[in-house]
Amino acid sequence: MAYRVILVEGNQQMLERLSGVIRSAREFELAARYQRAGDALGQGSVFKPDIVLVDIDSNDNVSLLEDFVATFSAASVFCLSDKWTPSDSEVIAKAGARGFLIKPFTADELQEAVATFAKTGISAGAEVFSFFSSKGKSGKTTLISNLGFSLAQKTGQQVGIIDADVQFGDMAVFLNVAPKTTILEAARDINFLSPVTLNGYFAPVDDNLRVLCGTSRPEYAEQIGIKNFTEIIAMARSMFRYILIDLPQGFNPISIAAAEASDVTYHTAMINGGFEIQHMQRALEIFKAWPDYENRVKTIFTRVSPCDKEERHKLSQALGYPVAAIIPNEYMLVSAAANNGQMAMRVEPDSMFAQTVNRLADDIIGKTHIRWGNP
Amino acid sequence: MADARRGIVITVFSTASAVGKTLISINMAAELAKQGYRVCLVDMDLQFGDVCNYLQLQPQRTLTDAVTALETDKNSFAVQDFLTTYDRYDVPFGVMAAPLRLEEAYNIQTASVKEVLLQLQLRFDFVVIDTASMFSDINLTAMELSTIVTFLGIVDFIPTIKNMKSGHDSIREMGFDVNKIRMVLNRSNSKTRIDLQDVEQLLGSEFYHILPNDFGAAQRSIQTGCPLVLDSKATPLKTEMRNLVARYTNRPLEKAKEDSVSWFKKIFQ
Ligand SMILES: Nc1ncnc2c1ncn2[C@@H]1O[C@H](COP(=O)(O)OP(=O)(O)OP(=O)(O)O)[C@@H](O)[C@H]1O
Ligand SMILES: Nc1ncnc2c1ncn2[C@@H]1O[C@H](COP(=O)(O)OP(=O)(O)OP(=O)(O)O)[C@@H](O)[C@H]1O
Ligand SMILES: [Mg+2]
Ligand SMILES: [Mg+2]
Repeated sequence: MAYRVILVEGNQQMLERLSGVIRSAREFELAARYQRAGDALGQGSVFKPDIVLVDIDSNDNVSLLEDFVATFSAASVFCLSDKWTPSDSEVIAKAGARGFLIKPFTADELQEAVATFAKTGISAGAEVFSFFSSKGKSGKTTLISNLGFSLAQKTGQQVGIIDADVQFGDMAVFLNVAPKTTILEAARDINFLSPVTLNGYFAPVDDNLRVLCGTSRPEYAEQIGIKNFTEIIAMARSMFRYILIDLPQGFNPISIAAAEASDVTYHTAMINGGFEIQHMQRALEIFKAWPDYENRVKTIFTRVSPCDKEERHKLSQALGYPVAAIIPNEYMLVSAAANNGQMAMRVEPDSMFAQTVNRLADDIIGKTHIRWGNP
Repeated sequence: MADARRGIVITVFSTASAVGKTLISINMAAELAKQGYRVCLVDMDLQFGDVCNYLQLQPQRTLTDAVTALETDKNSFAVQDFLTTYDRYDVPFGVMAAPLRLEEAYNIQTASVKEVLLQLQLRFDFVVIDTASMFSDINLTAMELSTIVTFLGIVDFIPTIKNMKSGHDSIREMGFDVNKIRMVLNRSNSKTRIDLQDVEQLLGSEFYHILPNDFGAAQRSIQTGCPLVLDSKATPLKTEMRNLVARYTNRPLEKAKEDSVSWFKKIFQ
C-alpha cells in the first residue's frame, strides 16, 4: 500500500515540481496539495494522509507546525526547506514533526527520509562525546566502538560514531565495515546535505548503530575543513541520540573543534608505566581555560590493573582530577576482537571489560551506580 | 658556508603511537655518541615529547627558545646555546628539548624548526630526530632533509598494520627517495598471531632490521634514565639496537667489545 502524501508548498513552481516527484515515487501517492497552510489544515484531513510535507520557508508555517502535528495526528509531518540549520531541527523536533527534507528532493530522497525517520523521528539534539588523548594508543577506539554498541543496545535509540582520527582512523576495521563514503566526502558535501542525506554517509553497523568512517588515506586529512567538520557534528545532532567522536592524538584543529562542539570530552589514556599521568595533567591544564571544564572534561584510564575502586582512587589522587571510568587490562580479548572485526562486548559479554563499558554507558544514559568498583 | 659539511640526519618516524620511537631514538643517539661521534637528539614530538622524561633531564632551554632566538636575530643565533647535554655515563650528546608549554608547541613555525635542524647539521655528525606519529608539516620537513628515515613499526594487531601500509604507500607517493626509508620492526615476537612474511608482502618491502621484544629491559631503561646501549647488562634488544646503528654507520660492532658476543648470539651459533 502506498503512502498518501499531502504537500504544502507556497511557491507555485516548486509545488509543481515536488508534486511530480511524489507522483513518480514508488509507494507514494499524492493525495492533495496546497499553497496555503490554512487550506491544508482546514481541508486536508479528508484525505487521511500518512505523510504531510510542510514547506517551512514560506510565511509563518513554522509557527503552524504544532497545529499540523495535532490536526494530522495519524500522519507523520515532515518539514521542507532550502537549507538545513541546527536551529530548525530543534524547533521541528519540539513541535513534534517527524523529519526534515531539503527541497527540491528526489523520489529516492523522499523514500530515504521516510525510512530514516520512521523509527525514531528527528532527534531534538544528540549528546556529543569526544574522546581526546594526549598521546596515541590510549585504547580509545576500542572503548568507543564497544561503548557505541552498548549505548545502542541499552537504549534502543540511534547512536552515531564519527571517526575523526583523520589520518589513521581505525573505526572501519574495528567495526568491520567497508564504507562507500567517509568523513572526507561528508565534509566536502556538507553544505548540500540534510540530516537525511548525511545519514547515507554513515555506514550501518548494527541495530541503531552507524559510523562515519575515517579517510582511506592519511593525505586526505588536510582536505577536511574545520568549519565543515563542525557542521557535520551539528547536523548529526539531529540524527542521533548519542554521538561518539574518535580523535587524533594531541591538540590540533580537529581535536580542538570537536572538543568545543561536544557536551563532554573524555580524556583517555592507557596505563603503560610511562608518563601518561603527567601528559594528561598537562592537557587538562589547557582544558581548564573553559569556565565549565569540570562538567565538560572527564577522564578515563584504560588497561588498568587491578581494575577496582582503590586503583581508581589512586589514579585520581595522582592525577589531581576525578577519574570518570577505568577499563581493565584485557589485551587478549580486545585485540583478538579487533583483528576479527568483532565487538569485544559481544564476544565476551560477561567479561570485566564488557561490564566496565556497560557501566560507563549507564553513566552516560543517566543511571546511578551504587556498585561501582565491586564487579 | 655553502660548502660546509653537513651531518647525517636520522628521523625516527611511525604511523602508530607507542611503537618505540623515543626509546630507539635515545639509544641511537647514545650508541653513536659512545662511538665518538658528535650527536644531537631532537625531540620533535612537540606537544607530549618523552625524550627528557626518558633521560631524566630538566632542560633549561627548549626548541621554543631556539626558534624565538632565531626569529629575533638570525645572525647572532647559536644553536648550541639551546641544547641540554646528556652525559650521565660519560657519553655526552646534545638534546634539543621539546617546548615546555603546549601553547608553544602548538604555535611553532615549521620554517624556523627547519632552520634549527639545518644549523644542527652543521655542528654535529649525527642529528637524530624523534617524532610524533602523524604526517604533519614538521615531520615531512624533517623527513625531507633526512639522510635516513627509520620507519618503525610493530605487528600487534590489524589496525596498526593497516596504518603502516597506508603510511608506507603515502611516503612512497610523496616522492621520497625509497632508499632512505628503512622499515624497522620493533617488538618482534610480542604476543601476536600475525605472520611477518604476510606483513612484508603487504607492505611490498622487507624489514631492514628487526628488534626483539623485551618489555622488562625497555621499561627499566625508561625508569632509570639509562639508555640500554649504555647499560652494562647485555640483552638481545641492546645488541640489535647496536647492530642497527652499526648498519647505519657502516661500522660493524667490534668483536672484542664486552657485549658483542651476547648469549643471544651464542645460542644461535
Ligand atoms: N582495555 C585494554 N586492555 C588491554 N589492551 C587494550 C585495551 N584497550 C585497548 N588495548 C590495546 O591497545 C592497543 C591500542 O588500542 P586502540 O587502538 O583502541 O587505541 P587508540 O587510542 O585508538 O590508538 P590509536 O592512537 O592507534 O588510534 C590495541 O592493541 C588494543 O588491543
Ligand atoms: N623492543 C621493545 N620491547 C618491549 N617494549 C618496548 C620495546 N620498545 C619500546 N617498548 C616499550 O613500548 C612503549 C612505547 O615506547 P616509546 O615511548 O619509545 O614509543 P613511541 O613510539 O615513542 O611512542 P609515542 O608515539 O607515544 O611517542 C614503552 O613502554 C617502551 O618501554
Ligand atoms: Mg584509534
Ligand atoms: Mg615517543
